[in-house]
Amino acid sequence: MSRETENALLLLLGLATAIITISGVYTRYVKPSLLPWLAAVAVLLIVLALSAIVRDLRRGRDDKTGSDEHTGHAHRRGIGWLIAVPVLLLAFVVPPALGAQAAAPIAITLSPNELRQPFPSLPAGRAPEVSLKEVMKRVALDSAGTLNSRLITIVGFTLKADSGTDLARITIFCCAADAQLGRLHLRGPAAAAAAELPDNTWIRVEGTIAPPGDAASPVIPTMTVSTLTPVDAPANTYAY
Amino acid sequence: MQVLVPGVVVAAVSAGALRAFVAGHADLSTAGTVFCGVFVQALPFLGLGVVVSGLIAVFVSPERLARWLPQRTGAAILTAAVSGAALPGCECGSVPVARRLFGDGVAGAAALTFMLAAPAVNPVVLVATAVAFPGQPAMVAARGIASLLTALIMGAVWSRWGQLDWITRRLPAAHNTDASKWTVFAEAARHDFLQAASYLVLGAAAAAAMHVLVPPVVFTHLAGHLVLGVVTMALLAVVLALCSEADAFVASSLTMLPLVPRLVFLVVGPAVDVKLFALQTGMFGRAFATRFAPATFVVATLVATAVGLVLVGGGR
Repeated sequence: MSRETENALLLLLGLATAIITISGVYTRYVKPSLLPWLAAVAVLLIVLALSAIVRDLRRGRDDKTGSDEHTGHAHRRGIGWLIAVPVLLLAFVVPPALGAQAAAPIAITLSPNELRQPFPSLPAGRAPEVSLKEVMKRVALDSAGTLNSRLITIVGFTLKADSGTDLARITIFCCAADAQLGRLHLRGPAAAAAAELPDNTWIRVEGTIAPPGDAASPVIPTMTVSTLTPVDAPANTYAY
Repeated sequence: MQVLVPGVVVAAVSAGALRAFVAGHADLSTAGTVFCGVFVQALPFLGLGVVVSGLIAVFVSPERLARWLPQRTGAAILTAAVSGAALPGCECGSVPVARRLFGDGVAGAAALTFMLAAPAVNPVVLVATAVAFPGQPAMVAARGIASLLTALIMGAVWSRWGQLDWITRRLPAAHNTDASKWTVFAEAARHDFLQAASYLVLGAAAAAAMHVLVPPVVFTHLAGHLVLGVVTMALLAVVLALCSEADAFVASSLTMLPLVPRLVFLVVGPAVDVKLFALQTGMFGRAFATRFAPATFVVATLVATAVGLVLVGGGR
């Protein structure tokens, strides 16, 4: 492929990166904390492409002798066209955020007592909002029993399971490739209302986490739900 | 250009249809999202890598590097491993940097050791591992030691058996001696980015395809037995192509496995995976990558198993 095409592809990739960064679409693929880095790399690519284009134009005007120095093997091969793939995906196709079926479901292992540590108590208030990930962490590791018979609020989406309806949330650590699906079984008075909702309905539930006992195998915690309200899907569906 | 311009127009016109088609196929949208995840995540690190490699092109001539490095091979690769550990980076960025540092003799072995050590033995990765495995400091120590040993052994192996004619990808020569520093920097960074990014696309596509075709659950069912567990986790590390800051969290969630196979997963992943294999092919050449990557895979698997058996034993 020609040097001009390479420069154009480089410029397009920089622009595509800038578009997903500015529009916020990048949170479908990576963590929000990558924002400054993505902005920086978009600027870098655009500057590299523009400066190469300007240099070539100047050189083209001055003399034609310099052109053979850039016909190295790297520029005769077609592999450079592959850069068009992410441009096409990021700027035009824009794949959606991962759905529940795409993330690896996880159960949690209850740590033995000697590895448990006391967690700070939950925020004050009648039913403080706690993330699903935090709940799973506390079930697995907390020695202070901060969740015991405490009313909490959790936001997540519904997911049909074999034994009823679950509250689920997708967590990513770095990018969409390492997504994991955290789940809680919903039981109690308001669980029947959850069962009537279709999958992927975002809800806010209030209830208490049932003590998991001391199972040796990984478990999925159970929540006894007292109230349930459907909510709008958040702009950014992942948790971190 | 005659292809690119109409191509962009067609893509823009058919964007809606493409989007609907992808949204209608769950596997396709998952693969697309995972591809974008791997690619977008790697992009800033690759950018950082090519900035460093551009600076190397300007300021570090092969002669200067040879002067800085200790003359003896052992001392040189040890220096490289330690400087790799001090630089928090990502595996995608360290490949182009290593290619720029690569030179004859001692410098070659040192560059490869740096390439393997930088993503795996840095403070960020070790802290992430400590967070993912609370109460198990042996896991952090085992990861650091096994990754460092892998990098050192591969550097020594290269200086003993490596051959320069496997490196078929040549960097464009600095022909224009009166070019400004900015031109040298920009040309080097541009060249390295184009080269690496094309292959990163291949690697990310392979990771996305594996993600859809082989769900990790399949591997975990195979992995009750130690040897079988080690082999499957090593292969899983290669096909999943996770970044080294995230893999500890994935490994910690695979609770049905003993610690040793999970350690193997953490040591093999940053050293060799489909994305790195593609990047090495792009930056060094196919003859190099088809020898270096499998050798790294074997060394990393064996070292991690041995270190794991000593340090974390039969823990779960």
